[in-house]
Amino acid sequence: MPRKKLGNMNRRTFIKTSGVIGLGVAASNFGVPKLLRAAPPTIKIGSVQPATGPLAVIGVGQRRGNQLAVDYINAMGGIKSMDGAKLELLLGDSESKPEIGRSEADRLIKAGAAVMTGPFQSGVALAISTLCEQRQVPFIMDVAALDKITDKGYKYTYRVFITVSGLLNGAIKYLKMVTEQKGVMPKRAVVTNTADAFGKGMSGGFVKFLEKSGLPIEVVDKVQYPLGIHDLSAEVARIKAAKPDILFPVSRPGDGIILTRELYKQRVELMGIFGPGSPGWYEPDVIKALDKLIYYVMVNVPWINPSSQVYQQANAAFQKAHNRYLDTNSAYAYTGVLVIADILERATSTDPEKILAATRQTNFTNHPVVGGPVQFDQKGNNTGAQTALIQVQPDQDLLKRVKIVAPQEFVQSDKIVFPAPQLWKR
Amino acid sequence: MDATFTIQLIIQGVLLGGIYGLIAMGLSLIFGVMGVINFAHGQMMVMAMYVSYWIFVLLGIDPYLSLIVVVAVIFVLGYFIQATVVNRIIDYPEAMQVLPLVSIGLILENLALLFWGPDHRSPQTILSLQSIWIGPIMIDVSRLVAFVLAIFITSLIFLFLKKTNIGKCIRAASDNRMGAILVGIDVNRIYNASFGLGAATTAAAGVLLLPLMPISPHMGHDFTLTAFIVVILGGMGNLLGALVGGLILGIAELVSTLFLPATLKQVVSFSILIIIMLFRPQGLFGGKK
Amino acid sequence: MKRYHIFLSLILLILVVLPLFLDNYILGIFVMVFFWAYVGQSWNVLTGYTGHISLGHALYIGVGAYTSTYLAQVFGLSPWFGMFAGGVVAAGIALFLGFLGFRFGLRGVYFVILTIAFAEITRLIVSHVEALGSFSGIFLDFEPSFWNFQFSGNLPYYYISLALMVGSLVAVYIIEQSKLGRFIVAIREDEEAAQALGVNTFKYNMLAIAISAFMTSIAGVFYANYIFYLHPNSMFGMSLSIELILRPIVGGLGTLFGPLIGSFLLTPLSEISRAYFAKGGLEGLHLVLYGIVAILVVLFMPKGIIVYVRRFLDPLMKDKK
Repeated sequence: MPRKKLGNMNRRTFIKTSGVIGLGVAASNFGVPKLLRAAPPTIKIGSVQPATGPLAVIGVGQRRGNQLAVDYINAMGGIKSMDGAKLELLLGDSESKPEIGRSEADRLIKAGAAVMTGPFQSGVALAISTLCEQRQVPFIMDVAALDKITDKGYKYTYRVFITVSGLLNGAIKYLKMVTEQKGVMPKRAVVTNTADAFGKGMSGGFVKFLEKSGLPIEVVDKVQYPLGIHDLSAEVARIKAAKPDILFPVSRPGDGIILTRELYKQRVELMGIFGPGSPGWYEPDVIKALDKLIYYVMVNVPWINPSSQVYQQANAAFQKAHNRYLDTNSAYAYTGVLVIADILERATSTDPEKILAATRQTNFTNHPVVGGPVQFDQKGNNTGAQTALIQVQPDQDLLKRVKIVAPQEFVQSDKIVFPAPQLWKR
Repeated sequence: MDATFTIQLIIQGVLLGGIYGLIAMGLSLIFGVMGVINFAHGQMMVMAMYVSYWIFVLLGIDPYLSLIVVVAVIFVLGYFIQATVVNRIIDYPEAMQVLPLVSIGLILENLALLFWGPDHRSPQTILSLQSIWIGPIMIDVSRLVAFVLAIFITSLIFLFLKKTNIGKCIRAASDNRMGAILVGIDVNRIYNASFGLGAATTAAAGVLLLPLMPISPHMGHDFTLTAFIVVILGGMGNLLGALVGGLILGIAELVSTLFLPATLKQVVSFSILIIIMLFRPQGLFGGKK
Repeated sequence: MKRYHIFLSLILLILVVLPLFLDNYILGIFVMVFFWAYVGQSWNVLTGYTGHISLGHALYIGVGAYTSTYLAQVFGLSPWFGMFAGGVVAAGIALFLGFLGFRFGLRGVYFVILTIAFAEITRLIVSHVEALGSFSGIFLDFEPSFWNFQFSGNLPYYYISLALMVGSLVAVYIIEQSKLGRFIVAIREDEEAAQALGVNTFKYNMLAIAISAFMTSIAGVFYANYIFYLHPNSMFGMSLSIELILRPIVGGLGTLFGPLIGSFLLTPLSEISRAYFAKGGLEGLHLVLYGIVAILVVLFMPKGIIVYVRRFLDPLMKDKK
């Protein structure tokens, strides 16, 4: 175990020295036939995602997105400023639990991860961001939305995804747009959410933002249910009793299906369903399972940019490998690694300080998601992150049913349907 | 509060309660005969749901029609678990019995994840979206069918235990293990059959639930806890008690949403549980202790 | 005995100097080994010695973690003092649970379910208390200092958890040797017989559950300041309760060294298997294997691994006559 001797040597100095040695070797090898030259060093990226547990369906997709980007960068010649160094993805499984996420992240850092990414869940993100601060390893989150994570002012934490307040601003903006454009205004609303950190933060925030927005929509009831619920009949009966015109669900994968079927069966009359920003409404499984019932659902969400070259190329590769399309979360996982590669290219080193310096200078445009260039503000949030408004609309092809209806430059369908026909009259 | 809303909740509670009763009956049977608590009960149910789901997706056979096949498969699974693991731990102190059964739950749950992935799967069967309206009150057809079948299956099991030879042997082994051995009953095999039967019962419940809710590998644990509550309510080892306990819990859970957030409804069930254990440990209808 | 003392002192000495040769990650694994050994030992005080099974011990971890963190965040009280407050609250809850359980004569399965119900109810209530972060949980700020019980590297955590483990060992040893310990074991062997002999079983059961809860809650304080995040589902949930009983059962229930041996074996095992299978496509396999190992140990080594360890060590440790 030669590595053990490094015990009292700081990990950073180790990487620094090995980097220097690596460069030295590369330099002295000029003129030596290519075959004999040492392979360029690999740079390890640690990715902790919820690959098991209730969010596993997303976590597995995230991993695939990360891996796809790593393969892409390597196929394009690795990190050119570092002698074509290849990226290597180290995988960790948070099992959807913050404490496991933390110990997994620690394991990956030990295994040599120069940069960390992940972890989808805000709770896990907080645990890892603290760890990265302790271990002095840059943490570039692909997905995780709670504002709190970057509010702590940690030096090593950055996020490519949008924040909850960013999501909420988008939701109100699009809600105003739709009601103005259509000339109809719902009066009574019910907000539902899953009882977890994200669900509660989102729905609480949404109610506040809605009050401030000046829209004459009154939230008449708030319905909260546990994550991973199997039966929503009582909750929907309660929604029905509140007589809402519009429903604002903050859901997780799985509950969208139960909720909609129950709304159908109990004949709850609604002008429409408008998601302020959550999964559960656009996944191919959900679209397929709900078929006509999910038509005209609108969701405000950070979304893929299907017309971009990057997306088309990545999506083709993803389809080929996993037989499903690159959804928004996986696309953000893909973007996260592209951003990291871009940062490494400019840092020209795996020294954490240099990586941080390069991170602050980021201006990355060539990504597959809706939004402007990736740039980080003081807190470490991506100022280019933006949401789109999507609506599920009838289409022969199952995979083409989700359409971007706003913002203008990304629009796929300029026809917004609102109010929507009742679920049982379709 | 809105009267329609209240009646609606009670009806849904009763229908759900019938299925709770069926799930719990398997647990009660296993406890009544062997004195072990099956901590993997909910996970077994999820296994049944997956089997049924795949038969539906791959062969296009509706869950109600494949019921017998699924029940048979899970019976074999239960038989196997009893024969390989539970028979060996039956004389252990209770603390040592807990761990293997919890572990079996862990194994089943993660095998499901390994084989079928983490997706929520939700087949739309013929009845999934059907409902009957009586004035303003809605009755969910798949729930109603599940309820009726649950009652029917419960009666079948009663008849089986009362009338058939194996049933009588199971009851004998349950009442007096030594006595059963003395009269020449192969107790281990009877135990295997009982565990299989308990598993099969929960499998039937799983199939009935399939049209009502999406399956995912991690949903078993909640149903294990639900089954515990129902069984304590009705009396450990009391099969009829399990059915009535299921109905009570179903109604209590749904009606509590009238005055409590839905996320707190389990507090109601657990409180009922504690009160029953303290003041009527034999359950409402008597049972083994 | 003498040789055993020398042997144990030697192991302790090794553990004290070991960090000089280890990096942060391996230190972290040792921290978890000591932590689970400590929690297992705390659980062992109740279940191993009295025979009353608790499957809701996460409750006390959660109470310790939440109490000390709340006091630290609202009143700026150091977790070093908050842990005693947490311990007292945990012991109070445990005494209430114990009173119901022992007074009403809930045995076996019924006691198990009572402990589960208490933990679940607490989990749900904490999930609805805004001051405790409700569903969002509490995020601890990272401000390393001794006073705050927070440190940059794993080294301080290593020594604190080692001290906890050794402390619990000594405490349980003292209990075992005392009158209390002998009565408690008598209760486990035959509660009614003990009662007939005039042992106040209620009193000793209550003492055991209070001590167990107090010790467990201190683990919660440690956990909070090691993980920096508290969530009702993970702090009070049943998976934590299950996780914490695995090691003492595998090591040897009701024995002084069982929880330690179990933890030294299982904690690295779970760490390694997770690391090994963490690549794509095999999600969940490590938990399957974990379950299989646990079943095999219970089936084929029902008295725990400690029996085999002793069979190996006893001849070597025999003092010369």
